[in-house]
Amino acid sequence: MSDDDFLRVADVSKWYGDEQVLEDVSFEMDRGDVTVLIGPSGSGKSTMLRCVNRLAEAQEGSILLDGEEVLSPDLDVDDLRREVGMVFQGFNLFAHLSARGNVALGPRRVLGLSDADAGERAEEQLDRVGLADQLDSYPAELSGGQKQRVGIARALAMEPKLMLFDEPTSALDPELIGEVLEVMHGLVDEGMTMLVVTHEMSFAREVADEVVFLDEGRVVERGPPDQLFERPDEERTGRFLERIASHD
Amino acid sequence: MASATRPTTVRERVAESDRSVGRLLLVAAGALFWGWLVVSWVNRWVGGVLVPVGQPLVPPGAVEATLAGVPGLAAYAADAAFVVELTPEFARGTWLTVVITAVSLGLGFVIAVPLAVTRVYGRVSAWVSLAYTELLRGTPLLAQLFVLYYGLNLASYVPGALSGVFARNVVWVAILGFTLNGAAYQAEYIRGALESVEEGQITAGRAIGLSKLETIYYVVLPQGLRYAIPSWTNEFVYLIKYSSLAAFITVPELYYRADQIASETFRYTLIFVLTGVMYLALVLTASKVMARVEGAVAIPGLGAERGE
Amino acid sequence: MSVAGTLALAAAESLGAVASESAVGAAPAFIGEAADWEFVFRNADYLGVGALLTIGLTVASILLGFLVGFPAGAVEVYGDGSLKRAVSVAGVVLRGTPIVVILIVMYFVVGVPQINLGVASVSSAVTAGILGLGLRSAAYQSQIFRAALSSVDAGQLEAGRSIGLSRFEAVRHVVVPQALRRSLPGFQNEFTIVLKDTSIVFAIGLAELLTRGYDLFSEQTTAVLEVILFISAIYFVLTFTTNRALDRLGDRYAIPEGESA
Repeated sequence: MSDDDFLRVADVSKWYGDEQVLEDVSFEMDRGDVTVLIGPSGSGKSTMLRCVNRLAEAQEGSILLDGEEVLSPDLDVDDLRREVGMVFQGFNLFAHLSARGNVALGPRRVLGLSDADAGERAEEQLDRVGLADQLDSYPAELSGGQKQRVGIARALAMEPKLMLFDEPTSALDPELIGEVLEVMHGLVDEGMTMLVVTHEMSFAREVADEVVFLDEGRVVERGPPDQLFERPDEERTGRFLERIASHD
Repeated sequence: MASATRPTTVRERVAESDRSVGRLLLVAAGALFWGWLVVSWVNRWVGGVLVPVGQPLVPPGAVEATLAGVPGLAAYAADAAFVVELTPEFARGTWLTVVITAVSLGLGFVIAVPLAVTRVYGRVSAWVSLAYTELLRGTPLLAQLFVLYYGLNLASYVPGALSGVFARNVVWVAILGFTLNGAAYQAEYIRGALESVEEGQITAGRAIGLSKLETIYYVVLPQGLRYAIPSWTNEFVYLIKYSSLAAFITVPELYYRADQIASETFRYTLIFVLTGVMYLALVLTASKVMARVEGAVAIPGLGAERGE
Repeated sequence: MSVAGTLALAAAESLGAVASESAVGAAPAFIGEAADWEFVFRNADYLGVGALLTIGLTVASILLGFLVGFPAGAVEVYGDGSLKRAVSVAGVVLRGTPIVVILIVMYFVVGVPQINLGVASVSSAVTAGILGLGLRSAAYQSQIFRAALSSVDAGQLEAGRSIGLSRFEAVRHVVVPQALRRSLPGFQNEFTIVLKDTSIVFAIGLAELLTRGYDLFSEQTTAVLEVILFISAIYFVLTFTTNRALDRLGDRYAIPEGESA
């Protein structure tokens, strides 16, 4: 553990009422790293992800991003979110805006770009995710895979220094998962720092620098993918991986 | 930090107890309101057993004297006595308001069901039904009352069998007006509810050998009418409020009597605010009762889950 | 201050008596009597001015209702504490009281003053009419907007926050545009209700369409039915065209809606 970690999550705990959903969760990432959080549903991995951009509030612990304390009450959460992109499981595209409008809203309203500049940036980002031909389509007119790619473009348009992915392929039909993973692969190649919650083990195996296995709000085990997938130290990790594998 | 949730819980608990105190007060006020109305009406029917007809249930003088003795309320003693003096008139007017509303709502429903059924499942009759509802919903209720009362002068054509029921025959004209108008609105609500019953239900009904009409009667209506309750409650509330328009064709209901007292006593503020409160009490009662009815006839597992 | 409310009732009383006397023996002439129709058309201008007043009253009331009702609906969804409670109590009172009572309270009790605009002055009846109809409409519009705002998926607000919009900005740029479109059908309904209920300002003697019709048939009592049918037709045309126009508006600003965005 060094002081110049890009993201350092230390002893984060969170309760919903009396129920503890995160217990002393810790992990670190360097700039350009890809970390994948895995675990059964209800293990707290999505909640952990949301604590990083404060869509969920952790009650204890520390999250240092680029040396700054994310959990500090003095921090401007809007400034934080401007620098941390997020992609949702359910897409959450703005239903009243076209693909271009969805991507341009942030640059226009948050970064203060002119309509023309924001539109241009939106087109660049949509091109980047392979949707240059769907600029004027509304969310309801897009397939699930296309929606999620717009969601990624929307986050990228803010030029984030960290991208959070919350089960980006879980709501997709199997034949549409590939196109989203392909875009994510591209981001890895470009050196984007990414924190990903997913059930796509092959993706984790291919691109992750570190895999963190969470269960019941605790980090059970973490390590490089080949070690964690091939020779897990903990029995629970092995059981979980077997269960996942039998579904594939 | 872990206990950061504590203060919220306490605040919620305070808010919760606030709410239950409020609810208790509301229930008490409701009981007082309806108790007063029912006792007043009964007293009138039995010819003034409790107090002479037309007299308030409690003597205004006593109220004034009592309040005058309470520090802080003494300033309102005279006003309170004045209000008490008016209660018999208000009770009489409210009786007519309640009767007109209830009868019109019931009769309107009887017309609305076939109107809605024919709109959904009929052919030529669907157009007739559409024309009727559009016409009645597209013109002001007050204009419709004027057509019946001034235009057609229906007050002088009330059949003999009905003419003795109310002190004035014009009450029947008002009931007719509200019935015809309300039927159009109720039909719209019921139509919407019928259309929300799944297509497969009719197919299933026909499959077990019911005729189309039987399927509608035994299968579609029992479901559709339940769905219609919330919007039907709306219509109930609307009718309570719009029954006040009967005053403009000289029906001596609540608003009419209030207006008369106001013009005699010149105490517009007090009397019209009081009138508003009376209507509000009727409306709140109606919506609370209908919410209960909705809960009581709900089909388990169907429709919106009810809280509480 | 005149006692218009009471006057309207008193007039109704005497005219009713006239109507029933004249009708004794003879059945009312149904839609016939050329002379009576001629009377109506001779006074079409007079009724036309009334119709204009009806339209003006409707537009002003809807506008006031929107300006007050929209923030009120937002407070009911996003507000808390005593402000939210005050807004919801005011709404219950305004929705639970007959419009005629609201109007008369505005007229007599609040004692709305005459407003002088320099070129023209607005009578206190007009001000009371707009205030009464407008505030009552605000109470209903707030419910329309409340329902529409809360029907927008919570993920929309979250996504807005995730790209760095503040809570207010996210509501303003993401939730409100969607909610406004969804509230159109309810708004359409409310528009026609206000249009029809402008007729109730009859109670405070405001000379809009219905009141003018009433004045006319009080003058020539044989033309009662003709006059009322004529003004009813005007109301019907107004509500019908309003509805179609708002349908158009709805189609024009419709966004493709799917099961999930």
